[in-house]
Amino acid sequence: MQIYLPIAELSLNIFLLLGLGGAVGFLSGLFGVGGGFLMTPLLIFIGIPPAVAVATQSNQIVASSISGVLAHWKRQTVDFKMGLVLLVGGILGSVGGVYLFKYLREIGQVDLLISFSYIAFLGIIGTLMLVESVRAIQAARSGKSLPGRRPGQHSWVHGLPFKMRFRRSRLYISAIPPFLIGAGVGTLVAIMGVGGGFIMVPAMIYLLKMPTNVVIGTSLFQIIFVTGLVTVLHSVENQTVDVMLALLLLIGGVVGAQYGARFGANMRGEHLRALLGLLVLLVCARLGFDMVATPQDLFSLAPQGAN
Amino acid sequence: MRALLSVLALLFAIAVSGGAAKAGLVTDLSQHQVSIRSNFTGTEILIFGAIEADSAAKPGQSTDVAIVVSGPRRDETVRKKERVAGVWINYNSVTFASVPGFYAVASTRPFETIASERVRAIEQIGAHHLTFGKLVATSIEGTRIPLDVEEAREFTDALIRRKREQGLFHEAPEGVAFLSNTLFRTSIEIPANVPVGLYTAKVYLIRDGNVIDAISTPLFIDKSGMERIIFRLAHREPLLYGIFAVMLATFAGWTAALIYRE
Repeated sequence: MQIYLPIAELSLNIFLLLGLGGAVGFLSGLFGVGGGFLMTPLLIFIGIPPAVAVATQSNQIVASSISGVLAHWKRQTVDFKMGLVLLVGGILGSVGGVYLFKYLREIGQVDLLISFSYIAFLGIIGTLMLVESVRAIQAARSGKSLPGRRPGQHSWVHGLPFKMRFRRSRLYISAIPPFLIGAGVGTLVAIMGVGGGFIMVPAMIYLLKMPTNVVIGTSLFQIIFVTGLVTVLHSVENQTVDVMLALLLLIGGVVGAQYGARFGANMRGEHLRALLGLLVLLVCARLGFDMVATPQDLFSLAPQGAN
Repeated sequence: MRALLSVLALLFAIAVSGGAAKAGLVTDLSQHQVSIRSNFTGTEILIFGAIEADSAAKPGQSTDVAIVVSGPRRDETVRKKERVAGVWINYNSVTFASVPGFYAVASTRPFETIASERVRAIEQIGAHHLTFGKLVATSIEGTRIPLDVEEAREFTDALIRRKREQGLFHEAPEGVAFLSNTLFRTSIEIPANVPVGLYTAKVYLIRDGNVIDAISTPLFIDKSGMERIIFRLAHREPLLYGIFAVMLATFAGWTAALIYRE
């Protein structure tokens, strides 16, 4: 059954879209990630214009983050103060990102920016995840335990001004690092159509030294508002948000995530992370290949509305 | 079925008005309006007509019909990729000022046999006879650059090639069939990705290489129902649309959380 997408202006199989949402949802439930970094490239592979894929994906992430944050809210594992500092940075970063996106779209280089950002971030994150998890697997085999997080440890982060007290995270640190993390992630949201959790979560744990239990809830809290803002900005500046597409992906995604989470409960953390790392590198390799392989036709038509 | 009825109605009209002395064509379309709804996967427009009896061919004369359907014109940009440091990136681009969003042509015989090059160029029969308005070439730095004849042709060919691949340019020599000496019909495929707007279906009657009559019929293609509401809102009230999209997502996320609450 075909469905016509009013903004993407093409007709696609409804089950393909539901299935795609379901598959990515399953993976996101399994690995505990947002899945935007997989969905946006997949949407581009099936023929959705990149600008529509990015903007629509931000819209879908709003929904998946809301359903995620509610559970954390109940468990009181959201540091609202930290979330607000991250959000202020996120707002500035995403506004800048949307305008950069618009400018590059006008001069025809936005696809290049999207591909480069994906290759760079997926490459780095995938490699780090794979290395870390393989080490953890080896350590588990040899029976040794890895050195854990040392919360009292001080680094250069603690020497910065504008210190604030974050009660729920039990931290007294400068507001500058979370602000910068928020801004960086906000820019990525606007350019890549991701939630940014896959950057923000490691940054919160390793740079800010936040306790692991509040990290997910707090990042989801920030992601809701940043992706919401990015959706509105993309809509105003580029008119590329397709609610029909977002809704279909969402339905598949919500259902898929439930099964993914159940399936993931039976698997070991480091094995999951190793698999996710491999998956991330695979997507990265495919995008990299597309950039260097000689295209079938050197000429392309600019999508409508770009002028 | 509806198409068949229209054909019959037309034939009846021709029979009734048989006494009229005017030479030429009578034509009609199976639909004058195409609505793009959520289940739209493209459609087929039937174009048919008759050559009036008074203008029947004398022995030895050739009679041909060519049908051109074209959509609203707008500007299009074609970009050429170049390899820079091993990576293929969009390099120079050419913007055409006035490109039909849809163009289909069909005729009774191959285009080059029905009329001279000059006639086809004037009537824009065949994609290579289409005129696309002013060409503006832009370098990767965003500055205007001169465009030589060879490059202009290369970009124009690319534009036509890509439009054909998208199903938006279509040529069917011998696509028009004569059902009798005077009756003819063709069907034009309208793909799902057509731009909306006012189209014209122009039917040419060509006798011995000269256009002796031509009739234009309007065809209106528009999104309708939900698709129209979404598209209009997104383009006319983008702020409202963005806020609506976020609210919809919020509601959907909330509902999902309620359904799957442990």
